[in-house]
Amino acid sequence: MSATQRDVKNRIGSVKNIQKITRAMEMVAAARLRRAEQRIEHLRPYAAAIRRMTRQAADAAGTEITGLPIFHEHESEETVALLLVTGDRGLAGAFNSQIIRAGLRAARGLEDDGRTVRYSAVGRRGVSTLTFRGKDPIGRYVGFTDRPSYADAREIAGELVTAYVDGKADRVEIFYNGYISPLTQEVRRETLLPLQQATILEGGDGDDGDASGDDAASGASHHALVEYEPDADEILARLIPDYVEISIYRALLESTASEHGARMTAMRNASENAGELIEDLTLEMNRARQAEITQEIMEVVAGAESLT
Amino acid sequence: MAAKTPFRVEVLTPEGSCFDGDVVQISTRTKTGSIGILARHQPLLGMLEPTELRLYRSESEILTYAQGEGYIQVSPDGVLVLVEEAHEPGSLDVADLREKLRRASDALASAQAGTEEARRAATDKRRWETFLRIAEGAAA
Repeated sequence: MSATQRDVKNRIGSVKNIQKITRAMEMVAAARLRRAEQRIEHLRPYAAAIRRMTRQAADAAGTEITGLPIFHEHESEETVALLLVTGDRGLAGAFNSQIIRAGLRAARGLEDDGRTVRYSAVGRRGVSTLTFRGKDPIGRYVGFTDRPSYADAREIAGELVTAYVDGKADRVEIFYNGYISPLTQEVRRETLLPLQQATILEGGDGDDGDASGDDAASGASHHALVEYEPDADEILARLIPDYVEISIYRALLESTASEHGARMTAMRNASENAGELIEDLTLEMNRARQAEITQEIMEVVAGAESLT
Repeated sequence: MAAKTPFRVEVLTPEGSCFDGDVVQISTRTKTGSIGILARHQPLLGMLEPTELRLYRSESEILTYAQGEGYIQVSPDGVLVLVEEAHEPGSLDVADLREKLRRASDALASAQAGTEEARRAATDKRRWETFLRIAEGAAA
């Protein structure tokens, strides 16, 4: 076997190995994606129940919920906190880079308007890229993007709400990959704080499902007799901040599902690409072998001719 | 003593349903104190504090969970317990809880009194203390 033939054969071997790895990664991502989808499903009944309780408590409460500090728009908007939700790992197509690009573009716009930007990032990719660009994130949340728990969302929400209520940030925005399907993800930019009244009092995003109907029927009949422990206002004051936690938790879950979806797609493309490469290389190797055989025959024929 | 009437209870967390079935009694703790709930309890909406949640499937069969902050809703159709976290005592990690408690205590010590930061740290500290007590109780 000639040197070129051996080279090509080695290359085929290594491409095959890469293909095996990308296939495995694709399968792992597919399995994790299914689990991530289930977790989004699991959140629905909880979010719907919280919403129902909020309505019930809001009906019974004497005060307007808009009096809570979490709703207050600050008079001037000097500092804006941006939370970028990325993943801990790469190899997922544009998943991480598109969030960072969208976040930095928004930050430039805000800074041009004379505002200060405070960065926070979820995921090692986001943290390391921001740090590399000299935009040190204040909140760094890493190590859980494969499987975010509610406690993670609570920690993030806690720090953001604290910064908002204590006046260190005048607005809080989140950037994350919204999950549409395994093949499609879109960058979403949402304002977390001040809390939008619309997210609470209007159904909107389909969390309610069947809840709104029976709520209206049962709420009217016995809400006068309900005992509140402690009073409704106090319950309401704690229910409302839960929306921030739930919004962040949902964003984390969607981001996780998107990450697995993006990685699955990226790895499928890589596997297909490797397949094409293998075909091309095999063709090249066959050609090299054929050339060598032809060469040998020519030599044999030439030798035989010289004898006669 | 006559058998207690069973009633339906569902325990929901953001990570999914953790219990859904009939029990004869629930004991937990609201902001105002410990509370026991039997069938046909008056409708109630309460705020739950971290504690040990006990579900009595019968007099002798008791399920316990470490419950985080949440809410309880008692209605004629049953009881709905919404908590941020619910763990079986055996699944709690003592070392992890100690670490979390230490961090919460540090945060509380460095936070200025009266700020949202201090309030959050105090809540965290209370939660991890309770969980730690439950975890150590389970280990003992």
